[in-house]
Amino acid sequence: MKYQSQAVAKPYFIAAIGLFVGQIVFGLIMGLQYVVGDFLFPAIPFNVARMVHTNLLIVWLLFGFMGAAYYLIPEESERELYSPKLAMLMFWIFLIAGAVTILGYLFVPYAKLAEMTGNDLLATMGREFLEQPLPTKVGIVIVALAMLFNLSMTVLRGRKTAINLVMLLGLWGLAIFFLFSFYNPANLVKDKFYWWWVVHLWVEGVWELIMGAMLAFVLIKVTGVDREVIEKWLYVIIAMALITGLIGMGHHYYWIGTPSYWQWWGSVFSALEPIPFFMMTLFAFNMVNRRRREHPNKAAVLWALGTGVMAFLGAGVWGFLHTLAPVNFYTHGSQITAAHGHMAFYGAYVMVVITMISYTMPLMRGRAANSKTAQVVEMWSFWLMTVAMVFITLFLTAAGTLQIWLQRIAAEPMGFMAAQDQVALFYWMREISGLVFFVGLVLYITSFFIKGKEAPAD
Amino acid sequence: MSSAFTKSAARNIFYGGSVFFFLLLVGLTYDTMHTLPKHDNSANLTESVKRGKHIWETRNCIGCHTLLGEGAYFAPELGNVYVRRGPDFIKAWIKAQPTGAPGRRQMPNFNLSEEQLDDLVSFLKYASEINTSKWPPNIEG
Amino acid sequence: MNIAVALLAPQGRRRDLPGDLAMWFFIFAELLVFGVLFLAYAFARARNVELFNASQLELDRISGAINTALLITSSYFVVRAVDRIRHGASRACVHWLAAAMACGGAFLVLKLVEFGAKFDAGITMSTNTFFMFYIGLGFFHFMHVVLGMVILGAVALKAWQGGYSAADHTGVETGASYWHMVDLVWIVLFPLVYVLR
Repeated sequence: MKYQSQAVAKPYFIAAIGLFVGQIVFGLIMGLQYVVGDFLFPAIPFNVARMVHTNLLIVWLLFGFMGAAYYLIPEESERELYSPKLAMLMFWIFLIAGAVTILGYLFVPYAKLAEMTGNDLLATMGREFLEQPLPTKVGIVIVALAMLFNLSMTVLRGRKTAINLVMLLGLWGLAIFFLFSFYNPANLVKDKFYWWWVVHLWVEGVWELIMGAMLAFVLIKVTGVDREVIEKWLYVIIAMALITGLIGMGHHYYWIGTPSYWQWWGSVFSALEPIPFFMMTLFAFNMVNRRRREHPNKAAVLWALGTGVMAFLGAGVWGFLHTLAPVNFYTHGSQITAAHGHMAFYGAYVMVVITMISYTMPLMRGRAANSKTAQVVEMWSFWLMTVAMVFITLFLTAAGTLQIWLQRIAAEPMGFMAAQDQVALFYWMREISGLVFFVGLVLYITSFFIKGKEAPAD
Repeated sequence: MSSAFTKSAARNIFYGGSVFFFLLLVGLTYDTMHTLPKHDNSANLTESVKRGKHIWETRNCIGCHTLLGEGAYFAPELGNVYVRRGPDFIKAWIKAQPTGAPGRRQMPNFNLSEEQLDDLVSFLKYASEINTSKWPPNIEG
Repeated sequence: MNIAVALLAPQGRRRDLPGDLAMWFFIFAELLVFGVLFLAYAFARARNVELFNASQLELDRISGAINTALLITSSYFVVRAVDRIRHGASRACVHWLAAAMACGGAFLVLKLVEFGAKFDAGITMSTNTFFMFYIGLGFFHFMHVVLGMVILGAVALKAWQGGYSAADHTGVETGASYWHMVDLVWIVLFPLVYVLR
């Protein structure tokens, strides 16, 4: 750690991991509700559990991105953070707002929550992933703007590199596109159309810039490859991501009342979306192969390579699987979407945040890398979580395929619930994989507390 | 001259390419907004439908159901439920929740008034009349 | 050296790509997008030949042919511009680039007139699948011509300021490569959409 103020990243990362645990617990609850329908009903109905599961994911990833930004931007800019105090203030505001929101979901009926928080003045709630009450949404904007001010001032006064510019651009995009969450017209088609300007332009747009910057930063550090080489590849990869991903948004506009030409535009561009992810895989492996130093933090290197592979599999391959309009006609709104969503989020964003945590945490705790024992445990957690996620994805894909066959293709189509009963076995296996994932997560947290002979800081 | 590959060229490609394709997206969006009235059934966007959408949102229906294929995959698609079940069944079903059948998936009771139920049904009717390019493949959704 | 090789390599053989590799990634992506769109066109046409043939008759082929000539000419001018800068003649390079941009400008004007006539006739991307491709592909390519002109303009400006020399003119080659791609796409697009029946 070169600058004192980088340490503000630490609470962000700790909060991220804490919320990650919450996300997985609620995921396990939902997984069980899929097969034991009345589990925890009426205390935690499925819709509440899902809201908590997805919102926790978003919030902890945001914590991870913010922590990563507070760590890498001072280092790249070669100066202290503009205001570490502001960063800490925003941390507490965001954590408290997030916690209060989740408690609100759990203990206040949603309609009551909407009424209490001014949803009648400006209705923004009750849309997938954007369920947050109005004050929380405003809070997210304020926290994001304060962070952007803080980071921009740091970059403006310091060294400008491809990595900190791309990171900053990604975070600005994140804040700007979030503003579409305040637009909720009565016209359902327009509502859905612009809802994707938040969701798609986040995960298949600006978040990829953030991801690319984080990965490039860690790769420079652990491989010692020339910055010039890594930065120009970073630009080429994110250029590909936006070239294919922006119009690729058309793959969400097939069946929601939008003009049918989107089937062509969406299919063509999103068919090319795996390319940047494939390039990212090659990029990660190439840079590690060309490494000029043996970094003692083997776990961080493993996470970085894992990000390349799993992002390509989850976002690239599983995305391509159902992105073409004639295929999507059958798969739209089935468990296939869930399969893709799980592996893509894990492979791209969860893993890149953990890569960053894995690289920076030892440094913030005053050593170059954790002890061998701690790293071995961390690598075990990598394999457990990653393999479990592969199986979750495979079981959901099997469930989805069977569901589509029974409900949408068979000569005598089954009703939704009848088809669900037929695929219950896959849901059970998914739940077991989920438990393995949870064990991996517990192991991951354990690795932070394992002592041993540690490599000294540089 | 050897093949050049410079960071500044890569940066220009990134900025230029992004702006270019974003403009294309804006162009397509502009055309979509003009064409939308032919597809989106907005002619039937009554006050009752608007109130119904508000009820749909404030009960977080999307947390279990899909609507035009988007949402959670825990409970049936509702974009075409008006066609599949009809208004009376929908109202009776909502009022009868939860079923309490052991081990089965449960839907909460939202204690909706008769008027709110009518609004919700008119929202679902409006949604079912949106031109979705023939999706879903069949009535089961 | 046989004739084919002589034609392919008028400047003597070179094995490297002219211009910056980053541009070639972009060109690769663009050609991939256009390639897939052309395939999609062929696929859609095969399933609906009559509609495509009938709609095709409504197109202004004269305008399309003139535009083809304009773009090929502009590409020749760009070749001249690159040749001049290889000899260190910045001013001449700028003049040829200006001539190429003038052709591009004429292309845009003709294209706007052509699209204007179609829009006046009430034709949009939603009219039918053929016109979806005609307007979609045409507009998409139109934007590429605009971008190509912006790139040529930037190159010309730098050349005007004496930013390139006989020894260092990668930028000119980079811009020229992009412009030839835009031309190449049109050379496929025109027969495919306007002529082939």
